[in-house]
Amino acid sequence: MQDNVLPLQGVRVADFCWVWIGPYCCKLLAMLGADVIKIEGHKRTDLTRHSVVWPLPHANTTEVPPNQGMSFNALNMNKKSLTLDLTKPEGRELAKQVAILSDVVVDNMRAGFMERIGLGYEELRKIRPDIIMVSCSSRGQKGPESGYAGYATIHHAVGGGSYITGYPDDAPCHSIADPDLMNGTTAAYATLVALYHRMRTGEGQFIDYSQCEGVTSYIGDLLLGYEMNSQIPERMGNAHLQYAPHNVYRCWGVDRWLALEVHSDEEFATLAEVIGKPELAKDPRFADMASRKENESELDRIIEEWTRARDRDWMADEFCQAGLAAAPSRDGRDLYADRHLQARNAFVTVNHPEIGELELVGAPWKMSDGEIALKRAPLLGEHSDYVLHEILGLSEADVADLRTSEVII
Amino acid sequence: MIAAGPLDGIKVVEFATMVSGPYCGKMLADMGADVIKIEPPEGDPSRRCGPFPKTGPHPERSALFLYNNTSKRGVTLNMVTAGGLDAFKRFVRWADVLIDNYPPSYLESLGLGWDEMCKLNTELIYTSITPYGRTGPRANVKGDELTIIHAGGLGNLMPTRSVDVDRAPVKMGGHPVGYHGGITAAFATMSALLGRVKTGCGRAIDISLQEVILAMIQPNVAGNRYHDSSWSRVPDRPPAMGRMKSKDGYIIVGAPEDHHFRAFVELMGNPEWGTTPEWNSMAYRINRVMDIAPMMDEWMLQQTNEDVYHAGAKKRIPMGPINSARDVMNSQQYAARGYFVEVDHPEVGKYRYAGWPYQMSATPPRVGRPAPLLGQHNQEVYRNCLGYSPEEFEHLQRTGTI
Repeated sequence: MQDNVLPLQGVRVADFCWVWIGPYCCKLLAMLGADVIKIEGHKRTDLTRHSVVWPLPHANTTEVPPNQGMSFNALNMNKKSLTLDLTKPEGRELAKQVAILSDVVVDNMRAGFMERIGLGYEELRKIRPDIIMVSCSSRGQKGPESGYAGYATIHHAVGGGSYITGYPDDAPCHSIADPDLMNGTTAAYATLVALYHRMRTGEGQFIDYSQCEGVTSYIGDLLLGYEMNSQIPERMGNAHLQYAPHNVYRCWGVDRWLALEVHSDEEFATLAEVIGKPELAKDPRFADMASRKENESELDRIIEEWTRARDRDWMADEFCQAGLAAAPSRDGRDLYADRHLQARNAFVTVNHPEIGELELVGAPWKMSDGEIALKRAPLLGEHSDYVLHEILGLSEADVADLRTSEVII
Repeated sequence: MIAAGPLDGIKVVEFATMVSGPYCGKMLADMGADVIKIEPPEGDPSRRCGPFPKTGPHPERSALFLYNNTSKRGVTLNMVTAGGLDAFKRFVRWADVLIDNYPPSYLESLGLGWDEMCKLNTELIYTSITPYGRTGPRANVKGDELTIIHAGGLGNLMPTRSVDVDRAPVKMGGHPVGYHGGITAAFATMSALLGRVKTGCGRAIDISLQEVILAMIQPNVAGNRYHDSSWSRVPDRPPAMGRMKSKDGYIIVGAPEDHHFRAFVELMGNPEWGTTPEWNSMAYRINRVMDIAPMMDEWMLQQTNEDVYHAGAKKRIPMGPINSARDVMNSQQYAARGYFVEVDHPEVGKYRYAGWPYQMSATPPRVGRPAPLLGQHNQEVYRNCLGYSPEEFEHLQRTGTI
């Protein structure tokens, strides 16, 4: 896609974010052509620079050099990096200058933090009335729990996602990065709506985003069900309320699994053919959806007896070609090896000066008018000079002074 | 008529069922877009899914349908009748946005590929959501919640912090694939609407749900290629806290940084085993935390969720209880923020619905109307939006087109 037709070409974003949600929200805006400037404190750089949090690339994560953390490199593509000493008034003033020269300011700090460093919405809009500020806190800016902190796993738990995830006979389980990336996408959507509104009316606004509520909004159907029938939805493992078979089956080898879901009688007859037991389709225990659900454990036993002796990927192909919904439970290696993902250019390769070639996940959408060029994440402070000279208009001497007083490094 | 919202005047046709397409439509509709949902004569299958009220299954009472279709108008259309295709083409000409989550070959088989739609409406934004995308060797393979969450890699990472590699990985509860797909589609659609202002051109958007899920775990998979390690539901190392069991439930504690850990030790009443100076180092804790984990677990078992959660959070320790639907509906924080919205539906009555995680000072989202009854807006849409005469409309009804 041509740079000059990117939707957010000409929009500047000040990114006061770290870890996963805020950085991903800003990455999405950057992929649409926005000029995103990531601002980090010298003493508190983005946690993800040093790690992917887990698993650890190094026995001691704190020893990973700041440009080599992989989740940082994944979530900060297409951005520029500015570092400032935000504990010094001069550093905060420079941050404010960048903010008011931006169309959008995004943060994922604890509620109230941006106000404390002089970068609250009310302060910024005095100087830049049409600014759009997106504050992605854990629980939102108001309310008795607004000061509480959290990470993706905590938001998944508080928002109601963890309680319904896992096996019925075992503990509930939180999820991983996904609540943050889902929330980052949702916040980016709200930001685009705000930009659209500003384009039509000239009016800016403040977006108060709650990450816990982001999780709750994607179980809204279950909550409404509870409101209507007072039954608390519980964990169901891989099962479905109506459909069977609907499970993840053991395959040949160690930790190899195949997901399979059958919705109709016709699909079940196909499955029975593929596993060489066509008689199952006529077996009264499995004749329709209700009887299959009733005899699910016996059905699962029969299917697994077949799958456990066979190759996972071969079976997935057989089932899919026969018209069924089946998929390997893919781990990271399987994802990179997936020919379908490769054919769709789901991964992009960038060259990192310290690490070399990196293969990272591309945009989760394809547009008819071409692909978005993805550029590697910036090195720490890589664009400090550019921002200070080109955007803030400081002279060489000003910058030298700031360097001497360690406001910039 | 729905009151003005930020997307007021944007015309959206939603040719979609279940969760992904409808949630995308809802996100646009709650912002004021004029979303018309096209259902087959028997209705969106989500009407048959539930959960339902105690009165039992009923096509107008499914929570899955009611939640995902707020603020829309609804029509029925039988695509395989003679008049059906013509009516659909009129929708394409009328719309700014078409959301489609039918299999990739469906509209194409009716002669409505992207090229054809482009001819009908050069400014159309066509948002397609499919299990594996519209291109590539698996373009026509079936997939739904269970298969796609595993195909995209998220299923393989759960149950998180499992100790049992012999038990199958597990999906997330609910319809995360559909919702995540809907959110991604809404974002991509908005980006195309903004782009169209510059170029005047429509565009086709191809969303693969497998790639949506892959994108949601990209920090987890990024390490694979470079560090040659694989992130798994069975952690490489013993977990440092995470999920803990309390007296009356479960709680998630995340205390990666030194100051978090110090605060947690303080919360436990500064036991001797946690206060020695070496524990004040992330590098030290990472490899040795299992030495003190049994004592921490023991302590947590004596606490109630409600007490320990607020006491810990006030000490700035990132933590939170594992909430059930009831806990979420009773949350004091959500109540204080006015997160839930009351919606009055003619068939089921008034209930509290989940709202939006974004509170927008200038353009607050809102439920403009409850989810449509099946075919509720047939007359006004076919007559007023698509320009059918009274006789033509009657013909559509008579021939079973609607």
